[in-house]
Amino acid sequence: MSKMTKRSRKAALILMVPATGFFLASCSSEEPVPSAVYKDADECAAFYNPPESCKAEFAKAEALHQQVAPKYQTQAECESDFGVGNCPQSQQQQASSGGFFMPMMMGFLAGQMLNKSSSAKQQVPTQPLYKSKDDLSTFRTANNQPVARQTGPVSVMPSRMQVAPGKMVNRGGFGAQAQRRSDQQSSSFGG
Amino acid sequence: MKKVRIAERAGWRSYAESVGFNFHTFDGEPYWDESAYYQFSLQQIEQDIEEPTEELHQMALSLVPEILASEQLLQQLDVPEFYWDWLADSWRTQQPHLYGRLDLAYDGKGPAKLLELNYDTPTSLYETGFFQWVWLEDQLMRGKLPQGADQFNSLQDQLEHRFATLNLLQPVYFSCVADNIEDKGTVHYLMDIAVQAGIDARFVGLDQIGEINGQLVDTDNYPLQSLFKLYPWEFMLREDFGVHLKSSKTAYLEPAWKMLLSNKGVLPLLWQKYPNHPNLLPAFFDSEPQSALSSGWVRKPLYSREGANIELVDHSGQRLKVDGPYHDSGYIRQAFHALPKFGDSYTLIGSWLVGDSAAGMGIREDNTLITKDSSRFLPHIILD
Repeated sequence: MSKMTKRSRKAALILMVPATGFFLASCSSEEPVPSAVYKDADECAAFYNPPESCKAEFAKAEALHQQVAPKYQTQAECESDFGVGNCPQSQQQQASSGGFFMPMMMGFLAGQMLNKSSSAKQQVPTQPLYKSKDDLSTFRTANNQPVARQTGPVSVMPSRMQVAPGKMVNRGGFGAQAQRRSDQQSSSFGG
Repeated sequence: MKKVRIAERAGWRSYAESVGFNFHTFDGEPYWDESAYYQFSLQQIEQDIEEPTEELHQMALSLVPEILASEQLLQQLDVPEFYWDWLADSWRTQQPHLYGRLDLAYDGKGPAKLLELNYDTPTSLYETGFFQWVWLEDQLMRGKLPQGADQFNSLQDQLEHRFATLNLLQPVYFSCVADNIEDKGTVHYLMDIAVQAGIDARFVGLDQIGEINGQLVDTDNYPLQSLFKLYPWEFMLREDFGVHLKSSKTAYLEPAWKMLLSNKGVLPLLWQKYPNHPNLLPAFFDSEPQSALSSGWVRKPLYSREGANIELVDHSGQRLKVDGPYHDSGYIRQAFHALPKFGDSYTLIGSWLVGDSAAGMGIREDNTLITKDSSRFLPHIILD
């Protein structure tokens, strides 16, 4: 047997990997945090990440997609922001609220997957990313914060990556009573 | 040694592009090919590749003072007389060298045969040192390769150590033809490793290099004290700026003496000095390069790159020739030794040296017996 292995102990790159993000230099004391952007779980795994973690993070982002994606009453409005063909009708909400439209998820920010021990005050949540019609090269959060121009490692400011429920035109505000009551009786509410 | 098929990693192309591997596909054809890998035993690697690589390297080094001491050999190698003293100085002052690659024909049995030495501008470095390393780690992590699989590939570790110990004056400039994507990838990789070794590494396009009173300078007229150039010495000597190479106070990588060993003329010189060495093929200077090549011989120009201008006639009389731009120097003849064939492909082993140590291996495949720029790169593993 020869000593140990016959390959390098590590093979890291620092110059060739573009870890720059869209954060701007500012007076705040906040430090950028390393994260990563991928199209899907397969691509995440192709970037030398554990496939199981990739699947888990992608599932988180997909689940969040329903909540945080910007929502539009009409497909035309949505497509004017995200491009023709990029705004399918939301399947989940269709039955109950008459349907609205949201952009397709184009990728995801893999939160703290690569940086679990971050000392940053705020965590970077795993979340879905989108691409606007006017700037198809940039991955953006649901809050329209630019994140990266290509998949792979990226640095982000945690404060800009916080998620909030997608702004939604609040329709169907009437009818809750009817729904509740319909469980008890199936007669008409007309009269 | 065997070839094993394996599924490609989904999405590897995006990953490759994100880490600077922009030449993974070449004219629409795959260059990096991970649809299969080659498997070797540790004994094959250590006895048949690693040890002969270091021995062949020492044999080649032993030729340098002999060539420098002989006007007849310098002429035979087509080295311009204007540079002889300067070349000899680079050897006498022990100008350090960085790396090199031996091309070997090996089929898993018997001695590997040296086809040629790439001692001036070897490429496929990034694919070997980084991308195939990541492929191995990745496939191990996915459980697609047997646990315990290893790779003959300490290239990046050894390069980093070499940069850290060369004592080059800084900044160290790195140069190549700036619009060549493959060369630039290789140079960026070396710069990356140099930075990791604590070196102030800067890029300067070859055509951006200037000259003031015989000193080569960068675009700000700062003297180039250390210059890595991925560009053939034999070109540099013959270009307009060649005259300044001698006067400039610059440590070059590779050093000037390395041009003697990247000359195909070392193949006949090795055979003369070490006749019947198991890792050598018979080779001779070709005094009649216009004559028809007989069966069982390969004709190569003294200076050529990437398989260009090589002509071979196999034992059955089949002739194969690659055209190219290298037809203005002398030629050598080398005994034909067929590359092993795995499936439809002929396989060549590139065995790396960093300094004087064997440092790893990269495998190329081609559909013909002559390995070229476009030949596919396949990863390998060691497994007993």
